[in-house]
Amino acid sequence: MKLDAILRRMKKSKLFLIGLIGLILIVGVCLLSPLFMPHDPNQATLAKRLSEPDWFSGGGLGGNPFGTDPLGRDVLSRLLEGGRVSLLISVSVVVISSLIGTLVGLFAGYFGGVVDRLLMRICDMLMAIPALILAICVVAVLGTNLFNLIATLCIASWVTSARLVRATVLSIRGKEYVLAARVMGMKNGTIIMKEVLPNTLTPILISCTQRFGSTILVEASMSYLGMGVPVPTPSWGNMISDGREYLATAPWVVIIPGVALMLTVLCFNFLGDGLRDIFDPKNTD
Amino acid sequence: MKNAKMIAGRLLSTIIVLLGVTLIAFLLVRLGGGDPARMIAGDMATPEEVELLRERMGLDQPYILQYFTYVKGLLQGDLGYSWNYQMPVTTIIANRLPQTAVLAVFALLIAVVIAIPLGMISGIKKGSAVDAFSMFFAIIGQSMSPVWMGLLAIMIFSVQLQWLPSQGMDGFKTWILPGICLAFQFSAMMTRLMRSGMIDVLQEDYITATRARGIGKGKVYLKYAFKNALLPIITILGTSFGTMMAGSMVIENIFGWPGLGQLLVQAINVRDYALVQSILLISALIFVVCNLVADVVYTFVDPRISFN
Repeated sequence: MKLDAILRRMKKSKLFLIGLIGLILIVGVCLLSPLFMPHDPNQATLAKRLSEPDWFSGGGLGGNPFGTDPLGRDVLSRLLEGGRVSLLISVSVVVISSLIGTLVGLFAGYFGGVVDRLLMRICDMLMAIPALILAICVVAVLGTNLFNLIATLCIASWVTSARLVRATVLSIRGKEYVLAARVMGMKNGTIIMKEVLPNTLTPILISCTQRFGSTILVEASMSYLGMGVPVPTPSWGNMISDGREYLATAPWVVIIPGVALMLTVLCFNFLGDGLRDIFDPKNTD
Repeated sequence: MKNAKMIAGRLLSTIIVLLGVTLIAFLLVRLGGGDPARMIAGDMATPEEVELLRERMGLDQPYILQYFTYVKGLLQGDLGYSWNYQMPVTTIIANRLPQTAVLAVFALLIAVVIAIPLGMISGIKKGSAVDAFSMFFAIIGQSMSPVWMGLLAIMIFSVQLQWLPSQGMDGFKTWILPGICLAFQFSAMMTRLMRSGMIDVLQEDYITATRARGIGKGKVYLKYAFKNALLPIITILGTSFGTMMAGSMVIENIFGWPGLGQLLVQAINVRDYALVQSILLISALIFVVCNLVADVVYTFVDPRISFN
């Protein structure tokens, strides 16, 4: 598809635009937050614990617009810092696992044979264990830290992209232009890079966008179970679990990071659905 | 006959996958450190006692022999020994699995009851208000963290309104919140699937032909379109049980539901690796078996499909 056709469809797709603008805002605010971080996100002031939100009326950012948590830390500051951590985890996991998955999928799909069967069996085995259960068991054994968390989520999720890429490669391996390239004497490596890989990029892109959101959700579940980002580093997931004992007295501790999480995942899902429609061959504008 | 051969092949590959999972479970615990003998013996044991126990458990053997012993035990239904509970893992899991299973089935029922009519109506009335509502429901369902949803539900229905209990498994009232929370995300996905299935089917020629023959709209939708739109749901039902098991890890811990999920987190916290390993194995087993059943059912329901 030509670039201007893609751009035209992007401009017409409401889902895509809402998702894109929302994400630019969320990611932008989180990334730039060190410039205007009102408080140290890890500074506990017990005298101020569980103060109610003042909704920017108590001196704007200087007060506690979103209240404080059970240790008296400023919820807004933790929300900004936690957003950076949650986004960092989700982006690293999706990028790394997609790279691994693409390599494996290209290799298995293009060459086929024993290697393909072996790799796909390994995929089957990893797919057989529900991702969240696999992830918490691996973290339980390796120990909880940010690096292990990312590595673990990659182990549990590269399979999805490997299968996707393999399926795409299988569908184009027999196409005339690939055969032609082979007849012309191109090396396998060149064919993969020039003819096969470009055609797998769209499905990878769409699946990546859809996986950003689900990775953030898995991180939140793992943090709740105590296998996520270790304290005191904030992430949206462990901020939600920080408030679990205070549902009656301090609901904002749970509600605020949950809203941030939902809006972010929603934007990623919009973006993913939008991209899928844009690149859908059945779509005629 | 052709079916029987295919099912046998599928069964064989399922067994290979399960063997692979036992290897993953075995390596995970052995390589992850933690000396099972040390833990079973307890803090008070002398080094000699630990050494003796290690020999008795076969932990002084090479890994490969240990693995064979482990698989041999599994085949006899022996999942190992939990040092924390001081009893066989098989007994503990047998006590907990039914609670997780009933919760998963209950949630699956809720999901089906919501998703199938909703997806069907929005597929038929594409672009209507009902459609907009159900798509909104679907996308929210897929964007909400189950943890957050569970805590919100407790906040609203247990703390504020005091309608429903938030903890435990005691009478039907305790089933409602965990059931709905577990079902929510899933029914969102199913609604989308049912809707797109319905839209695709309604564009088929045979539907137009049926309508042209003067058969009423209601009958066409319910009798002809519904059955075919339901096909993708069968596959999803197979994988869903595994997804539900995983989802219930979180839900059980939020609502104090005495199932496998709660057990897993407790086991991890006290480093009871024999138990962790077995829960991993059991959830994989359930997932694989459900998939197999769904695949087999599918070949009977849809003769166009064959395994390869």
